[in-house]
Amino acid sequence: MSNCGNGCSCNDSAIDNVFLPREAEILRAEQVTASEKHFTLKMKDGKGMDFQPGQIAEVGVFGYGEIPLGFASSPTRTHSFDLVVRTVGRVSTAINKLEKGQSLWVRGPLGSGFNLEEMRGHDVLIVAGGIGLCPTRSLIQYILDRRSEFGKFTLFFGARTPKDQLFTDDLVQWRKTKDVVEYHETVDKGDDSWKGNVGVITTLFAKTKISPDTRVVVCGPPVMYKFVIRELAKLGVPENHVYLDLERRMKCGIGKCGHCQINDKYVCVDGPVFTYSDIKHLEEAFA
Amino acid sequence: MPAHFIHETDFREFLKSLIASKPVIGPVVEPKSTGDKFIFDDVTSAEQLRLDYDVSLVPPKAVFFPPVQKLLEFGPNGVKSCINPREQVLLGVHFYDVKAFDQLDKLFNDKFPDNNYLANRRATTVIASSVQTVSKHAFWGSFGKDVKAKGHDGFLTKVQGGYVYETFSQKGEALLKHGKFGNASTDQVSAAKRENDAAMDKCQEKVTFTPAEISTKTRASFSNNEMWKELSKDCFSCGSCNIVCPTCYCFDVQDKWGLDQVSGERYRTWDACLTEDFAKVSLGGAGGHENFREAGAQRFRHRAMRKLTYLNEKLGGPACIGCGRCTSACVPNIANPVKIINRIMKG
Ligand code: SF4
Ligand code: SF4
Ligand code: FES
Repeated sequence: MSNCGNGCSCNDSAIDNVFLPREAEILRAEQVTASEKHFTLKMKDGKGMDFQPGQIAEVGVFGYGEIPLGFASSPTRTHSFDLVVRTVGRVSTAINKLEKGQSLWVRGPLGSGFNLEEMRGHDVLIVAGGIGLCPTRSLIQYILDRRSEFGKFTLFFGARTPKDQLFTDDLVQWRKTKDVVEYHETVDKGDDSWKGNVGVITTLFAKTKISPDTRVVVCGPPVMYKFVIRELAKLGVPENHVYLDLERRMKCGIGKCGHCQINDKYVCVDGPVFTYSDIKHLEEAFA
Repeated sequence: MPAHFIHETDFREFLKSLIASKPVIGPVVEPKSTGDKFIFDDVTSAEQLRLDYDVSLVPPKAVFFPPVQKLLEFGPNGVKSCINPREQVLLGVHFYDVKAFDQLDKLFNDKFPDNNYLANRRATTVIASSVQTVSKHAFWGSFGKDVKAKGHDGFLTKVQGGYVYETFSQKGEALLKHGKFGNASTDQVSAAKRENDAAMDKCQEKVTFTPAEISTKTRASFSNNEMWKELSKDCFSCGSCNIVCPTCYCFDVQDKWGLDQVSGERYRTWDACLTEDFAKVSLGGAGGHENFREAGAQRFRHRAMRKLTYLNEKLGGPACIGCGRCTSACVPNIANPVKIINRIMKG
C-alpha cells in the first residue's frame, strides 16, 4: 500500500480491505472493433494473476469506478493476461481511453470458473455470442494449449455483423486448423464481403455433429441462452454438462452488494459459470 | 453470565463516567421531531439518552455500515485503504436490532470478510437494553421469536429501582468500572426476565405462522404473478422500505474526485433493490439495456424473498426481525411484512 498523497487522516493500517485493487500495467492496448478495446496486462506487484478460465475481475480506473470482466486469455499463458472492454458506460469509456504504459486497477480473480476437471477427456463445444467470446477465449486458449487432454473441440461464434467480430487474428487461425478446432461462425447481418453463414447462432448446429457426451459452454447476450439450451436438449446433452457463463450487474464482486443476484444465487461468487442443472429452477436466470 | 445491578440514582453517574471515557452512541430525540421520534447519535450528556424510546428511525446498523462510507482514497501516488475504526460504546440497542447485527456480522464475514464493516463492529461495545415502549408496528413478539439475540456485550434491563446489567464479554465487563454496580439478586434477575418476556406480548401486530411455513410457502409463490402484482400495485419504487431496514445491506460503489481533481475517494452508499435500476446493465453495441428486474412487482417480490426465505438457511431464521420500520416508512402502506405474509399464506 502506498501513500495516496492526500494528506488525509485515514490510517494506512494493516487491516485487509477487500475493496483495495492492485495495479496492473497495460502492456498492449488495441482498438479491435468500433467499440471494443483489447488490453494485455501485467500485475505490477509481481504476484501475477492466478485465475481459472471463466473467473472474473473487477477492473477500474480511479475517479470513474470498476466493472466486472471475464479474463480473455488462458492462465496457461502466465506472463500476462488479457481483457476486452466494450464501451458502454462511464467506466468502460474511461478504461478505453487508456493506452500502453498506463495502469488499470484490478481486484480478482473472483467468482467460480469452468470446471476443467469435468471437461477433460471429453468433447467440448463452446457457443459464444458477441462479446461472449471474450470470457470464453480464456477456455479456448486453455484447450488449445493442452489440446491432447480434450476430445473433439467445436467452437460456434456469432456476431451481429462481420465488423463486430472480435479477435480477428484468432479467427483467421481457427478457420485454418480444422483438426485442432472445428470452428463455425455466423453473423446476424452480412455485408458485401461476407461469404459465410448468416442467421442466428443456433443455425450453426446444422453444420456439424455434436455427440451427447459433449461438455458445452454457452456465453452471450441474455436472449441467446434459452434458444441454445433448447438445441442442446434436442441433441440429448445432459443438463449438468451445460455450462452457462452469465452476466449481471455487479458492484462489489464479493457477494455483498446484492446487485448480481439471481434468486438466492450471487453471480459474482456462485458464478458467473453455472451448470444448467444448477440454475434451471431459478426463475430469474433467463431473460 | 454474571448479572449486576445498579440503582436508578447511580445510573446517571455511570453514564457521565462512561461518556467521559469514550464516545457513546445511543437513542436520542430526533431534533426535527416533536420529541416522539428517535435516532441513534453521539450522546454528550446523560440527560439526552432516551432508553424509553420505541424504535429508531434509522436502524443502528448505520454505526458500523454508514449510509455513506469511504472505502479507499486515491491520488497521484496510488491508493490506500480507509479502515479507521473508532473505539466506542453503542448503548440502548433493542434485542431485535441486536438480532439484525448478528445477521450482518454473518453476511459481511461470509466468504470475503469485509473489514470496512467488521472493523467498526469490533471496535464497538454493544450494550442492549430492554424495550420499555413498544412501537406501533412492531411484530417481533411473534415473528422469529425463537431466534435469540446474540453478539452483544451486555444487556441492561430496567426493573423496579434500577437496572439489571448482564455481561456477555470482556468488553461488557469493562463498563462495570464506570458505575456503582453490585451483584444482582435472584429476585432482580427474575424481575428482569419477567420484564423482557412481558414485552414480547405487547406487540400490536402478530404473525401466526412459523418462519419455516412462511419460507416454504413464499418460495413456492414465486410464480404467482397475479399476487405479486396485486401486492405491489401502489409501489412507487422509492426504496424507503430497504433504507430503513436493519437487515438490508445492499450498496452501491462510486468514485468521486476531490476539489483538486487529482485525488479522490471510492465510497459506498446504501442501495435499495426496490429502485428501478438496481439490476439494470448496459449491454452496449446494439444491445441497449437489460433490466433483470424490470417490473415493480419483480422487485417487490425480490424483497419478500430475501426477507422471508432466501437467507433463512444461512442466518438460521428469517432476514426480517419484525421491527416494523418499513411499515412506517411506506407511504402507500404496502411494505408491512405482516400484511405480505398473510397474503402469501392465503395463496
Ligand atoms: S413498498 Fe413502499 S417503501 Fe417500498 S419501494 Fe414500494 S412504495 Fe417505497
Ligand atoms: S423488513 Fe421491515 S419489519 Fe422486517 S426487519 Fe426490515 S424494516 Fe424491519
Ligand atoms: S456483485 Fe455485489 S453481490 Fe455480486
